[in-house]
This record gives sequence, C-alpha cells and structure tokens, in this order.
Amino acid sequence: MKRNWEALQQTNEERERIWRKTRSFAGDVWSRFRKKPTAIAGFLIIVLLVLFSVLGPLFTGKSYSEQDLNAANIAPRIKVFETPDGNGWLYITQSMKLLRVSAEGEFGEQLSKLREDSERQMLIFDYEGSELGLYYGKKPYLVVNPDTLVIAKSRRIRNRDYLLGTDSLGRDILTRLMYGSRVSLVVAFVAVIVNLLIGILYGGISGYLGGNVDEFMMRIVDIISTIPLTLYVILIMVLLGSGLGSIIVALGSVYWVGMARVVRGQVLSLKQQEFVLAARTIGSSTSTILFRHLIPNAMGAILVTATMLIPSAIFMEAFLGFLGIGLKPPLASLGTMCNDATENLRSCPYQLFIPAFVIVLIMFAFNFVGDGLRDALDPKLRK
Amino acid sequence: MEEGKKAGALLDVRGLRKYFELSGGQRVHAVERVSFSLESGRTLGIVGESGCGKSTLARTIIRIYEPTEGQIYFQGQEITKLSQRSLQPLRKDVQMIFQDPYASLNARMTVRDIIAEPLFAHKMVKSREEAAGLVYPMLEKVGLSREHLNRYAHEFSGGQRQRIGIARALILKPALVICDEPISALDVSIQAQIVNLLKDFQEESGCAYLFIAHDLSMVRYVSDEVGVMYLGQLVEIGEAEEIYEKPLHPYTKGLLESIPIADPKRAREKEKSSIEGDIPSPIHPPSGCRFHTRCPFRKAVCEEEQPPLKKLGNAHFCACHLYD
Repeated sequence: MKRNWEALQQTNEERERIWRKTRSFAGDVWSRFRKKPTAIAGFLIIVLLVLFSVLGPLFTGKSYSEQDLNAANIAPRIKVFETPDGNGWLYITQSMKLLRVSAEGEFGEQLSKLREDSERQMLIFDYEGSELGLYYGKKPYLVVNPDTLVIAKSRRIRNRDYLLGTDSLGRDILTRLMYGSRVSLVVAFVAVIVNLLIGILYGGISGYLGGNVDEFMMRIVDIISTIPLTLYVILIMVLLGSGLGSIIVALGSVYWVGMARVVRGQVLSLKQQEFVLAARTIGSSTSTILFRHLIPNAMGAILVTATMLIPSAIFMEAFLGFLGIGLKPPLASLGTMCNDATENLRSCPYQLFIPAFVIVLIMFAFNFVGDGLRDALDPKLRK
Repeated sequence: MEEGKKAGALLDVRGLRKYFELSGGQRVHAVERVSFSLESGRTLGIVGESGCGKSTLARTIIRIYEPTEGQIYFQGQEITKLSQRSLQPLRKDVQMIFQDPYASLNARMTVRDIIAEPLFAHKMVKSREEAAGLVYPMLEKVGLSREHLNRYAHEFSGGQRQRIGIARALILKPALVICDEPISALDVSIQAQIVNLLKDFQEESGCAYLFIAHDLSMVRYVSDEVGVMYLGQLVEIGEAEEIYEKPLHPYTKGLLESIPIADPKRAREKEKSSIEGDIPSPIHPPSGCRFHTRCPFRKAVCEEEQPPLKKLGNAHFCACHLYD
C-alpha cells in the first residue's frame, strides 16, 4: 500500500525553534514607519533642516548679526542698471547709493557721490571719471546719464551675495534663517526633553501610586492647565527677562502637563496587567517596575505625544518672538524674523514669507513624523 | 477547619476574607472566610466556576490584594499585615504563575531579562553574566534552548511563553508556587507538557503548589488535596481521590457530573444532574448557605444559617446542612 500521509520525524529542537529572525521592538516600529511616505518625507525634512541650521552658517561666510546699512532691504532678485561702459551693473540702494554689481549678481564697491543736483532731482556719482545721475524724482529711482538724460538699460538678476536677500538692517536673511531654525529646533528639543523628564516622572508616579496621591497630583495638574498657557508663558518671560533660557524654562514648565496626563493614563491601564503583577510578586522594586515595565510599555504613546509637542513648542516660540518678547536682538529666531519683517511688509514681503515658510515646513515635518509614529507604534495596525 | 490544622504547615490560611469596595457603599464579597493549610511538597488544587473567587484568593495570599480579614501564615510567620517592604524577603519563597501567557510577560524584554528579573530583584546575582549562568540551565529545564535567550516574548508560542513564565517563577527555587490557572489558556496537547514540567520540578525541589484551575480532570491529576470553592467560600476540601470518588457537597457532585466523558456508552449511563441557574452576584450573596439558590436538596435551614465546615471522614471537610 502506498503511504501518502506518513508522519515526518521531528526533533524537539526543531519543534521549539523560532524560524523568524529576531526583531526588536524598535526594528519593528521602524519597518512600519518607513512604509509611510509622508512620515519618511517629514523625517527627511527634519534631517535636512538640522543639517541646514547646524552646518549652513559655515558656508554662507556671513554673520547673523553683522549690519550693513548700505545693503539694507535687498531682495533675492534685484533690478540693476547697466554702467555707461557696458561692462558691469549698478544697484540703487535704499539709502540712494550706487553699488557695483557683477554680471553674476555679486556686489562690488560703492560709487562715490560728487554732488546733488536738486533742480533736476538727481544725485551725481562718479563712475570711472564720467558723471552718472541717480534720478529720485519719482519711484522707482533710475540711473540716468546727466548730460543726455538717457535712462540706463536695466534688468533683473538673481542676488548672488545674499541668496534670500537682506533685512532692514542689511543682515543676510539666509544666515539668520539658519540661526533662527537652530534656535527653534533647540527650543523645541530642549522643551520636549524637559517635558519628557517631568511628565514621565510625574505621571508615572501619580499613576503607579494611585489613590489619594494620584488624586492630589492630578488636581495640581488641573490647576496648572486651567491657567491660559500663553498668558502664563508671557508672564514667565516678563519675569525672567527675554532670552533663550527663559523661553525653555517657560515652555518646559507648562507643556509637561499634557505629557503627565498621557503617562498617567497609560500607567493606570498597564499596572493592572499581569506582567506588572508578576513583577510585584517577584519582589521587584517600585523603580524597577516603573522604569523597566511600565514606562517602556507606555513609550509608544509618550513618543507620539512628544513628537506632536515639538511643533507646538516651535510655534509658541515663534509666536513669542513675533510678539517681541522672545530672543534679544541681534539673536535670530523664526519668530523675531517675522516680527522684524512686519515693518516693511509692503516693500519687502519676502522678509516675512521666507521665515514663515520655514515655520510651516517644520510644523508639517513634525506633524507628519508624529502621525507616522503613531501608526507605526499602534500594534493593531501591524500587518 | 480548626482541628484539621497541622503544625508546621508551609502555608496556613485562617478565615481569610477579601471584599472589594464599590462606589455607593456596595462591596463585592470575593473571598469569604476561607481556611486551609498546605504542607511542603504537596499540591492543593482549588476548583470552582469562573467568578467564584479562586484568583482573588490566590492574589490575596500573595498580597497583591490586601486581605480584609483573617490571617495568612507562611512558614509559621504571619504575613497578613506585613508591609510590602517587609514582605520583600519572603517574596523569594512564594512565586506565582499566571493564567495568560501573553499578558504575563513584558513584551519589551528579552527572555534572558525576564527570567533573570527575580535574581536581580533579590540581589542573588551582581552582573548579567552571572545571571546568564543561572538562566541558561533553567531555560533548558523548561525545554527551551540558548538561542532563545535574546528573543522577545512576543516571538514565542503560547506554550513556550508559559514555560518562560514558569522558568521565571521557579528560578529562585521557591517553597510555594501559586499557579493561577496556568494551563487554562493553552491547547490540550500543551497542557500535559506544562503540568508534567510542574510535577518534575516538585519532585526535584519539594516545593508546594497551590494549583488553581477549572479543569477538574487536570486538577485530579496534579493535586494531593482538592478544595472546592463556591461564591467565595470553600465548600469542601479533602484528599483528591476522596473528593473525586466520594463527593459530599451537592455543588461538588454537580461539578463532577459536568465533566464530559469521552466514552459515549458510559456518558449515556451517567445520571444527568448538572447544576441549574447562574452563579449569584457576589455583591448580594444569598443568605444562609450561599449555594441554596441552586441546590437540589435545599432545606428550610439552608436559607437562614450558614453551614460551618465540618469534618466528615479522614481529612475530608464539607460545609453543608445535609450532614448535620
């Protein structure tokens, strides 16, 4: 008889063996995280922003604080007039001076002023021996030949020296943007780390001990969270004076409330689970239970909350900067740059749009990452 | 069961009560005046329907729950009122095996760390290397191998996980192991494997088991003595063979008759007298004998008076008015 269904020999070792490759929790999360395009895009943007803000200033060769009033309010694209001899270009500054500009868009030296011809509403400059007029009778100002009154040929070129233009004090916006996003990221990360520390400890202890201790600790949280956040932060800033340190203190001392609530909720539900009871019957200490069992298992929710906290901390910093109680000048932050830009919003809108765009970019990136993390950490979505 | 108490018992529980306070002044009468004692090297099986307080009893004895009333003596020392701090050294000798092998292991820890946790908690070892020296033989004893050491708990099957839980409970060589339905969540084929593992360990180390289960045939196989619980009370306790062969309490009889019999011929012969109705609410337990609402032999006295646990034969105790 043919035996179709014969049992195979199986050793104990084979039966107990796990065939799948070992995968840690972090590896598991990462493999799900990277399947989400928006999350990866957000992650890349954050990495690029960090590189931009940390390494960027090395390449611009400019400082964020150095002022050059002759170069104030120069746009990323500038209008230039051809020199009489035709081998260069001239740019009219806000303070009615003429700067040489090379064909590539690099600024050269300033032309020396000879006199003012108020009758014809013209400033006369010296250009390699010949006279050159700057007509200021009507905006936009023009470069004219004072003898023939012929307007010099003009065109728009890209500003090579100041890729994103300059602000009203003649500081390079690109460099300030780098320092500004550096401040924003530092504020965000430090605020979040402070929040994590306070929130995890506070929420963890409150949730684990439970009972009256929990009741008391949570009422404190309630009281803190009823005070309007903005008002509170502004009060702290006024009290401590403006500066990076006090922004971090202000944000760190306020935002932990949400984190504490999340951690407490997680701990409350986790501590009833059997592995925590097991740890108690084993005789593990409270700190072991809290830091080896409860917190690692609550880490998913904690991470998501923390990532979502970053954009709101950045936004709060920008908002404070915009109100003028953020960093002390000449330090730059995205908020203070927006604030500076409001003075001449009509003539130089790029000064507002550029930092605002970066704020939007950061917010989007962190929200995407937070979203992706939440999906990746939710075991119910495991495929 | 006053007279039945043996001197020098490993675990001695006297009149243990556990109530849970609910909002509105109500309370759940989870465990009501339970007394028994357990000697070293023996196994006491506790059986009963779901919700009869078996697990609460186990958790109260191991002091996860605070007892409401009564005394628990472990190795002659009263532990009922000891603070968690002073309980700490005793925890080394009392370990627990949990029902759900998926919930009782921390998913963020490797097998090595899970099994070594008791060693570190009681400062038996100083380094991870030292711990590994003890963890590995234990792992082998429960049928797992060295290559499993660095795996996470979620990668194992239910039976493997339960064996990891057992390895964790046994690594300290405890004198008493409380098994809270250790096999209920497992396949039948795996159940025998786990129970045999527990028996082997008992032979080797002489530890005692408090074995809680609702599978009556498995309890018969592992236990020396069996206690039957109904609605928080111990209604009958005695030698395992005696309980199974000559059950006295109507509830025990009903329970035993509900065991399915594999042989259809014998099954047909068996008289049908399973217990009717549902278990009453432990918030408002019935007056008198708690079983009287479902008892086929109830008398007038059953509704009024609570029957005490009486000795009816050699180490066989039963709480029922039928034997007054």
